[in-house]
Amino acid sequence: MTATQKQAWFNLGVVAVTVVTVLALIPLIGRGALGGFGLLGALGFSPLFFCHHGRDVVDDERDRAIRRKALIVAHLVFWLSFVGACMSLPAFYGWNGSVPVMMLQWSVFGAFAMLTGVMSVATLVMYEMGGGDAA
Amino acid sequence: MPPEHNGTITNRLRRLRFENSEMTQLALAEQVGVTRQTIIALEAGKYVPSLLLAFRLARAFGVGVEDVFDYAVSATKASKEKGSEDAIE
Repeated sequence: MTATQKQAWFNLGVVAVTVVTVLALIPLIGRGALGGFGLLGALGFSPLFFCHHGRDVVDDERDRAIRRKALIVAHLVFWLSFVGACMSLPAFYGWNGSVPVMMLQWSVFGAFAMLTGVMSVATLVMYEMGGGDAA
Repeated sequence: MPPEHNGTITNRLRRLRFENSEMTQLALAEQVGVTRQTIIALEAGKYVPSLLLAFRLARAFGVGVEDVFDYAVSATKASKEKGSEDAIE
């Protein structure tokens, strides 16, 4: 398993734990469950997978190509979701309604979690497929 | 209209490794500066390397790039090209 794969599994785990925690906290503390997104801070440890051990190569052009493609996939999913959410807002709040501030805060952390999660999944799928080409 | 690119790139990495004192995938990976997983993906034909890595791999075996990699044009395109050549003749 390459360092990028380990990082993807780690990030996916952090996102999954965060989402489960937040969803579990909502019935207990309501809007305070937003604090559960603080677990996403653990993503800051993921670069540790790229620490060198002797003369081992931990990252090469294939890893970089896969990360680049996975990021594109994640951004694509994010923008489709963002546009879809914006277009569907009138259905929930009406044409003259207003979006709650709370929802904006949730969407910031939710979007970050989604971006990281989709990028991790895309990375792992691309490794299974081989990585395609260096372009 | 731009030309179609339906070709595939194959390689002889596995054969070359065995011809070179049964070099291990790890040894080759370290020599060219990539991970062993990349060598595995290359040998399985799942990954097409950059030109830079292709040259590094060729140099590692002391041969030219075309001795390691082969570009095969797909049957459809090949027949089209042959057809156009026949038309010119």
